[in-house]
Amino acid sequence: MTTELTVDEAAQVRLWHRVSQFLFREARLLDEWRLLEWYDEMLTDDIRYSVPATDVRGETADALGLIDDDAARLRQRIEQLLNGEVWCENPRSRTNRMISNVEILTDRGTHLDVAANVVVYRFGHGRSDSYVGKCRFELVVEGESFRVRRRVVVLDHETLYEHGKLSIIL
Amino acid sequence: MTIERQRPVSDPIVIDDLEHLSFRVDRRAYTDDDLAAREMSRIFDRCWLYVGHESEVPGPGSYVARDVGGRPVVMARGSDGVIRVFANSCTHRGALICSQPAGQARSFRCPYHDWTFSNRGDLVGVPIPDGYGPGFRKADFGLAQHRSDGYRGFVFVTFDPEQPRTLTEYLAGATEYLDLIDDQSEVGMEVIQGAQLHGARANWKLMMENSVDIYHFRALHKRYVGYMESLGSVPPQRRGGFGCALGLGHGANELPPAAARPLAYWTPMFGTEVRPRIEATAARFVDRFGAERAERITGTNRAVLIFPNLMIIDAIAITIRKIDPVGAGQMAITSVALAPKDEDPDIRELRKSHYLTFLGPAGFATPDDIEIVESCQRGYLNRTVRYSDLSRGMNKKVPETTDELPAREFWRQWDRLMHGDDGHLEVAHRAETQGAEPR
Repeated sequence: MTTELTVDEAAQVRLWHRVSQFLFREARLLDEWRLLEWYDEMLTDDIRYSVPATDVRGETADALGLIDDDAARLRQRIEQLLNGEVWCENPRSRTNRMISNVEILTDRGTHLDVAANVVVYRFGHGRSDSYVGKCRFELVVEGESFRVRRRVVVLDHETLYEHGKLSIIL
Repeated sequence: MTIERQRPVSDPIVIDDLEHLSFRVDRRAYTDDDLAAREMSRIFDRCWLYVGHESEVPGPGSYVARDVGGRPVVMARGSDGVIRVFANSCTHRGALICSQPAGQARSFRCPYHDWTFSNRGDLVGVPIPDGYGPGFRKADFGLAQHRSDGYRGFVFVTFDPEQPRTLTEYLAGATEYLDLIDDQSEVGMEVIQGAQLHGARANWKLMMENSVDIYHFRALHKRYVGYMESLGSVPPQRRGGFGCALGLGHGANELPPAAARPLAYWTPMFGTEVRPRIEATAARFVDRFGAERAERITGTNRAVLIFPNLMIIDAIAITIRKIDPVGAGQMAITSVALAPKDEDPDIRELRKSHYLTFLGPAGFATPDDIEIVESCQRGYLNRTVRYSDLSRGMNKKVPETTDELPAREFWRQWDRLMHGDDGHLEVAHRAETQGAEPR
């Protein structure tokens, strides 16, 4: 015996599917170093991308983090990564992002708050590192798709002692 | 049976040739496990080592737990307001008495058998005390307290009961630079929450050298230079300034700013809105200190190396960087930002923002420093090239910031301590110029 989805549930599944597909595409563009496409097509003009420090993990409002980019600085980060001036990303590292546990926390019609878990494997310069974190996205609904307005990756690592640096975009 | 040919033990690591203006370091200094072990006993067990800033333990009962010189310690402000540094190890069986990195506690309780110590280090609780005879006295089992002292808010510890110098004597000429940092606020400086905890697969000394090396700036940090130029700033290259040796292994570079300084040096990259506030602050410094010293505090960048493993860089923001060896080929790095406690909130945001642009494991510069020191460490695997050269500026009376005098000062002290010479006489014996006279 099967249970039919209610209309409401079906709408939620469709929304969840669209959000997941959006996040998977984002991960693919980042993995393929299609950073300008990502910047131009998937982010809002007032994007904020941040990675809090691993000790306070974003729980202290005034704390210093690891990354806190507005649109201009993120654009700068991308241009540096693409033009070969980032010595530690030249040659470019290979990355593989695993996105899971995608959950729509709130649906405010024009905006969605989305949580997801991420593991980013990075290989390059003889090293292999993994970055494990919890993402929070604020997505702005744009027709059938979205743009990211707020992108926070809270790392679960106690320190980046093993990694040394965070030279890719998570 | 194979008999390996070893270099004779007298084979020097540091070759300091003032006659030929040559300064070389044998790359075994970065790779040899025996030397790394000897560094722990000859340097880290003996020197004054940076623990933290007093603002990290702001009130009675506050504490931080961290490793210093490879040893777990707790820096705690007791209920009496006194800052002490304890061995983080129960006097009963040795477990850590504090496993939180920071917090507030009236007492520390060892989880193993519930021995409890006050935040002043006294043993105050022992469960089932009738298991001990009449000779057992709690007073004999207080936490081991290390000799610690502070200078202008910077707290140091030494594990050597025989350390002959007071902290102030040990800091030698570096006190002048700590004064230039702590004078930046009348109510005190504070560490901003959020530490950048990272590391590198390279010898710790490579990061010390890198942190006082301005010669690499234009080459390695092209992307940051490009970013600064896009904001209308001039990156450092022969823009004046000088490098100096401060005695006992400490050294510094001092140079005109390449960019704005959040304390009181405005350039267009900070935007016009905060300009009046920053200029008003600059004027207050002139009132407090006179034009010349105010200019040095507010309008000059500096990088200070405090032997053995502390770097303070005061430029677009202030970073305190503690660099800890973990064997020959790995280091742990702890970086925090220091700022005036009474900083304007908008300017604090600018400070944090610009800190992150340059500094930290995801900034526009530090990741390349991490990569390059790891690259050096890998290069040393090819043992054909035996020495690294650190002779820049030996031909000058006043070395420039692109020279290597601060690094040589570091290595000379390293060499003395590794030979068991505690360096009482070295100041008189030094032949090379100390660098510029303080302004």
